[in-house]
Amino acid sequence: MTESRSQQVDLAGLAAAIERAAADLALAEEPSRFIAALEEAAEEERR
Amino acid sequence: MGWTIEELAGAIRQGKISPVEAAEACLARVQRLDGRLRAFITPDPEGALRAAKELEAEATAGRWRGPLHGVPLAFKDLCHVRGLPTSCGTGTKEYFVAAHDCTAVSRLVAAGALTLGKLNMTELAMGPFGDNAHHGHVQNPWRAGHVSGGSSSGSGAAVGAGLALGALGSDTGGSIRLPAACCGIVGLKPTYGRVSRAGVMPLSWSNDHIGPMTRTVRDTALLLRVVAGRDPHDATSSPRAVPDYLAGIDGGVAGLRAAVPENFFFQGLDPEMASGVREALRILEGLGARIEEIRIPDPQTMNDVCNIISRCESAAVHARLYRERPEEIQPVVRARLELGFRIPAHDYLQALRLRARLTRAFLGDVFAEADVLVAPVIPEAAPPLSHATEGPVEELALRQGRFARLTRPFNGLGLPALSVPCGFSRVGLPLAFQIVGRPFAEATVLRVGHAYEQAAGWHRRRPPLD
Repeated sequence: MTESRSQQVDLAGLAAAIERAAADLALAEEPSRFIAALEEAAEEERR
Repeated sequence: MGWTIEELAGAIRQGKISPVEAAEACLARVQRLDGRLRAFITPDPEGALRAAKELEAEATAGRWRGPLHGVPLAFKDLCHVRGLPTSCGTGTKEYFVAAHDCTAVSRLVAAGALTLGKLNMTELAMGPFGDNAHHGHVQNPWRAGHVSGGSSSGSGAAVGAGLALGALGSDTGGSIRLPAACCGIVGLKPTYGRVSRAGVMPLSWSNDHIGPMTRTVRDTALLLRVVAGRDPHDATSSPRAVPDYLAGIDGGVAGLRAAVPENFFFQGLDPEMASGVREALRILEGLGARIEEIRIPDPQTMNDVCNIISRCESAAVHARLYRERPEEIQPVVRARLELGFRIPAHDYLQALRLRARLTRAFLGDVFAEADVLVAPVIPEAAPPLSHATEGPVEELALRQGRFARLTRPFNGLGLPALSVPCGFSRVGLPLAFQIVGRPFAEATVLRVGHAYEQAAGWHRRRPPLD
């Protein structure tokens, strides 16, 4: 598996974007809060 | 076959047409047209007729399985269907052989649907155009030589061309909505967790959604009610009750608050597409909706997050195929898979954490003051097939990313998104827009889509195939 120049660019771009966006993530933030966000918003809609 | 699912199911109940006649009509159309459309990978005429005869005997005896009794459907070739091979669009036709139907198919069959066969798709569901070097490039039913959209390409073309009355597709970055938009039909990516993925070949567990593709919004509502709901075989499926999506679908849009993004979605959009979507908004406004332009959180961040998650998870899913038979995978698909092997676990996990925060922010910013968000679904009408197949791998991958940039954010957000046709380009290719709702608000999204569809009437047009 050799890494092409365009793959290096893609990877670097994605990694930089994630690093920027994640810079101020709260310690408590975790993946499962995604499902919780959907369920909570649906509950609000019902109320 | 020009019927909608609702019309055909009603006609079968009234004895105006039998399940065998319905199946034969579809199979004859497949026989006549699919040599050039390439919508099917595995048609199953024997199985379809066998099922149709059983359904006919049951109907004669007054036994009705459900709302789809005798309705011919077809399924993307990553849905496991008992007795049929599953290629997932690869060159290995029997990449999977399943002993059971996937949950969504089993629910449709329990409701009376019969299976016409398995539908063509982009290899491994990785690509938005519908090209497939192994099984043939799916042709757009409205204009030969143009893409059908992907990755549920066969689903779009089969329903658009009237080979099947409805289909299932999967949507990881737009793969239901893109072919629906390109082929002039309706396609729904439901809320994450609304429809079970059990028995469907995954691409990215975090972003995969299963949903219906049909000619009308009402038919999509009908199929969604059948396939939605908790499934013990899919831990991500929601236990939330499934409403009757047809019950309030005629409620109209008077007073509905529809937000239109002023950033991102209309930038670089083809003028014909922009004009079609703006005209759709005018129609909705004329029906009583309140249209308001708003600035939304930058969707490109969510696109990056989705890309990282999808690349990593798809590399994990297909690691064995990649390591053992890489030469079987088309170069552009292989290149996208390779990327996933090189992303650090740290970035993947940060992307999953970011997704949670971005979703809460989006819901708060957009849906505090709006009931739906209305946006374009494809940046331009279906491009020529050469756009998907000709050029260096790097350029092909860039074109793929650009074509799916308007759909992918809603996979990351997990929100219901309905693609609805909104006219035609000068050369006769479909235009489309998407209606995005709050989590589990499929009923609202379908109500808006139905109101527009009835007012605009585009669903009555048929592609020039006969």
